[in-house]
Amino acid sequence: MAEYTLLIILFAPFLGALALIFVSNRQVSLVRGIAAGSAFVSLAASVYLFYAYDSVKGGYQFIQRIEWSRQLGISLHLGVDGIGTPLVLASGILLFAGIFVSWHIKDRMKEFYIWILILAAATIGVFMSLDLFFLYFFYEMSVIPMYLLLGMWGSHTKKYLEMTDPEGLKQRDSVGFIFNFGANSKEYAAMKLVLFLSAFAVAALMGILLIYKFSGLNTFDILVLREKAHFSGPLATLIWLLIFFGFASIAPIWPLHSWSPVGHAAAPAATSMLHAGVLMKLGHFSIIRVAFEILPETTRELMPIAAVLCIFSIIYGGLVAYYAKDTKYVIGYSSSSHMGYVFLGMAALDYISLSGAVIYMFAHAMATGMLFAMAGWVYDQTHTRDIPSLGGLSNRMPFISAAFVIGCMASIGMPGTVNFIAEVMIIVGSWNKYPFQVVVAVLGIVLTMAYLFKMMRGLFYGSMAEKYSHSHDAVAVVDRMPLLIMITVSISFGIFPGHLYSVVRSGVDPLIARITKVVPVAELPMNIPQAGSPTMPLPASREAIAKVTSR
Amino acid sequence: MTFSLTLSASDLLLLLPELFLTLWLCVVLAVDFSFKRVVQEQLAYLTILGLLVTLACLAWFDMSGITGTLFGKMFVVDRMAIFFKAMILLATVLVILLSIDYVHRFSLFRGEYYFLVAMSALGMMFMASANDLLSLFVTLEFATFGFYVLVSYLRDDMASNEAGLKFFILGVFAAGLLAYGISLVYGETGKLVFSDMSGATPTTGLVIGFLLIFAALGFKIGAVPFHSWIPDTYHGAPTPVTAFLSIAPKVAAFALLLRLFLVALATFKPAWALLIVAASILSMTYGNIVAIAQRNIKRLLAYSGIAQVGNVLIGLAAGTKMGSDSILFYLLTYLFANLGAFAVIMAISNSVGSDEIEDYRGLNRRSPFLAFAMLIFLLSLAGVPPLAGFIGKLYIFVAAIKEGLYVLITVGLVNIVVSMYYYLIVVKKMYINEPLDSSPIKTTGPLRAVIYVGLAGTLVIGIYPQPFLDWAVAATLMFSNLVGPAAAITPPVTPFGG
Repeated sequence: MAEYTLLIILFAPFLGALALIFVSNRQVSLVRGIAAGSAFVSLAASVYLFYAYDSVKGGYQFIQRIEWSRQLGISLHLGVDGIGTPLVLASGILLFAGIFVSWHIKDRMKEFYIWILILAAATIGVFMSLDLFFLYFFYEMSVIPMYLLLGMWGSHTKKYLEMTDPEGLKQRDSVGFIFNFGANSKEYAAMKLVLFLSAFAVAALMGILLIYKFSGLNTFDILVLREKAHFSGPLATLIWLLIFFGFASIAPIWPLHSWSPVGHAAAPAATSMLHAGVLMKLGHFSIIRVAFEILPETTRELMPIAAVLCIFSIIYGGLVAYYAKDTKYVIGYSSSSHMGYVFLGMAALDYISLSGAVIYMFAHAMATGMLFAMAGWVYDQTHTRDIPSLGGLSNRMPFISAAFVIGCMASIGMPGTVNFIAEVMIIVGSWNKYPFQVVVAVLGIVLTMAYLFKMMRGLFYGSMAEKYSHSHDAVAVVDRMPLLIMITVSISFGIFPGHLYSVVRSGVDPLIARITKVVPVAELPMNIPQAGSPTMPLPASREAIAKVTSR
Repeated sequence: MTFSLTLSASDLLLLLPELFLTLWLCVVLAVDFSFKRVVQEQLAYLTILGLLVTLACLAWFDMSGITGTLFGKMFVVDRMAIFFKAMILLATVLVILLSIDYVHRFSLFRGEYYFLVAMSALGMMFMASANDLLSLFVTLEFATFGFYVLVSYLRDDMASNEAGLKFFILGVFAAGLLAYGISLVYGETGKLVFSDMSGATPTTGLVIGFLLIFAALGFKIGAVPFHSWIPDTYHGAPTPVTAFLSIAPKVAAFALLLRLFLVALATFKPAWALLIVAASILSMTYGNIVAIAQRNIKRLLAYSGIAQVGNVLIGLAAGTKMGSDSILFYLLTYLFANLGAFAVIMAISNSVGSDEIEDYRGLNRRSPFLAFAMLIFLLSLAGVPPLAGFIGKLYIFVAAIKEGLYVLITVGLVNIVVSMYYYLIVVKKMYINEPLDSSPIKTTGPLRAVIYVGLAGTLVIGIYPQPFLDWAVAATLMFSNLVGPAAAITPPVTPFGG
């Protein structure tokens, strides 16, 4: 049974979606039951996976390999390492929570659950693919459900996206990139999202095809390509750039981010949760899985690109979030800003910082999931996301406002939440290589505090308009449960990060060792001098490792 | 050259599918004439029965490996011909099912309609077996002849008459080019059979001759710059005929293109590859960009069809065994998605009486099944996983990248994104916009059957393509001597050394 864990995690949502097709929309409880049941099976299996993953052994585990096409050299090759495991768990948690967050959807509920299950299953599929073809297959498959989810159950963004700067001048997010000409409909947001992601996905596909051709191995298998394919020179640079920017668009790295906040703002709550919580991590994960694994040399040469761009992500995203007036837009830009931290952690190519980046992805999934769930709740109650017109809601919804404070704290990285661990690891790990970026990142944390506190105050404190006096708190178990799950996960891993850390380290160590050709310090006998380590300044990071590992 | 005019029993066996279908068509026609009371549905099912028996006969050929040539190599039965004939017959069966509700709109000659459809199919079956320039010409005209009548079958409809006239004039023009090209090629080489031509020296006359032949075949598949008849003809023709026209002649013409370029012209590949690359880039780009502006779903599919042909031409430009596999496989995926989409169009048109994209507003509320089916078909045409179209596109790209056609692949990939826009516009109308008239849409049994076949084909090939890939690969074994990378023959490396 245990060896089929990955198949269960992956196919439970697909089978749930398939079963839902044959259920009538009128059987509300059956529809909810199937959706929640299949999500629960997937979640339970991913919890099992997380704790059964042997972090001492490391490497790829729970491997499944099913021949799929001989001619093309494709097989459904599934397996997780220490990087994929926590992300699979995060997807499982957010899918389960998302089912309950959207419990009260009235319009075409069955179809909503079908698409959200397919979206989550496709996302999970990317995190466990060991075949380039299936990685792309699931990646592209996750885009289309987003279109329908945004278009059918989303909300128009109206004028919320306009921002006012301190002098009272109207601003628009026009620095972003092309296509950002500020239409306010959900159709626009959905179409922009799909076209943007597809356009960059085909760039990544070109990279994958080039890997396929020039490896000469007639296979898409990542494990084979990792061992036997060697790329160098301009070709390696080209492939790396295609892979990096193709996948970084979904991450979303500045300046390819502009689809993301608009998409968040238009999406229904559960979709935003999955979108910000796990869909965005597909970008980082795919870069790690493809570029880091197959092109280690080029990664070492070119990863400074990410270190430069992440500054803009952090600062730009934070500033826009500060001036934005739409709750979801604030959270969306905060996500885009926080993804800059992950890029910083990845760019430093250090054991600690990359582990921090992976833990940050997990932590951010929980924190942003909470915030989006609560923003969705507030929107359902008040039918507006305009922060200036809201206020004082803590009188009406004490539970939500308390949870919102916790969500903000987690997002900022308060000690006691898993975000804190991740942020500290990123900052400590990147300090040697990118001190300037670390300073920016720390300032970014201050900025995060500023906009999240501003939003928190704007929503829940101050005086309340009379028309919101009939809004309700989340009282029922189904309404509180998703938030409680995410809060529990965030805090318990914040206090006991040991297993999460060792799982992530078991995935990060061989990867960084391959890229930097430096063996992790902790595993070396101390009296042997470091041989063949031209790139890494070791002594400082030894202390850093000692600090974090003794935790 | 000598023709052996004595036909032995084993020779007749090779002709069995065609002979049987010919006889069966006479029966259909006779039944239609003799029994005035016969209901046209029964006639439709009678025709389908004959087509299915022919299909079964082809399946028997395929399994027992019956192959051979006839009439001094004019007519060849090989596995590729069988593959193409099976696709043509499948398309014809589905088109006849599509027509059953539509035929009531014809004022006259309802019985002959089925005869003409099946007769065109017969012509296209011969096309798939044509192995020299003479049979190419004769079978091409035979197949097109039925279409001239079918396109203008709505006698009282101006658009249908206009479509028929356009199709006829341009079709005859293409036939003229073809005849001229054949005469030039024959004059230069003195040979008619494709496989005898491979050693010919490239003279100016020969090049012009082949260009003219390519132009005539380009007209059949609707590749830019020979596409001008497509939008108006698709728009004006009766919808089931449009569906037929959008798949069957293209399939048959690709059989001829494969034989022409990979057998007769195999040695000149560097020269013609450039021509195909140009036609492919033009077709994809033009088809996709103009499709964005369309307001009528039939015209949209017409332009998307031009773009799809551009995609298939990538496989031809690769010019390898794998390229030909990918063409066969892609056409199979295109058949299911395209005919399925036309079935949905027919269902909506029968109920709403219009083909405007605006009338698809809120289809999801009016008929969730039709909307879902259309979504699947359009996404398969766009090439979204896990649907058949994605595997087809990927296979073509892999075949092309092995030949180093980077520019062509880049254009193809960009075009996927462009095409996604207009397919999603239809999806937006169906799913996101609210309906103006929320009365439910009824579908009839035959249309549902076509939609189910289309859905099954699109999903099964998308999720588990191996048997279909194997079939396509086995069908093109005749091309395995083509120069290609050695990697195409070596088995893929597996992590476990298998």
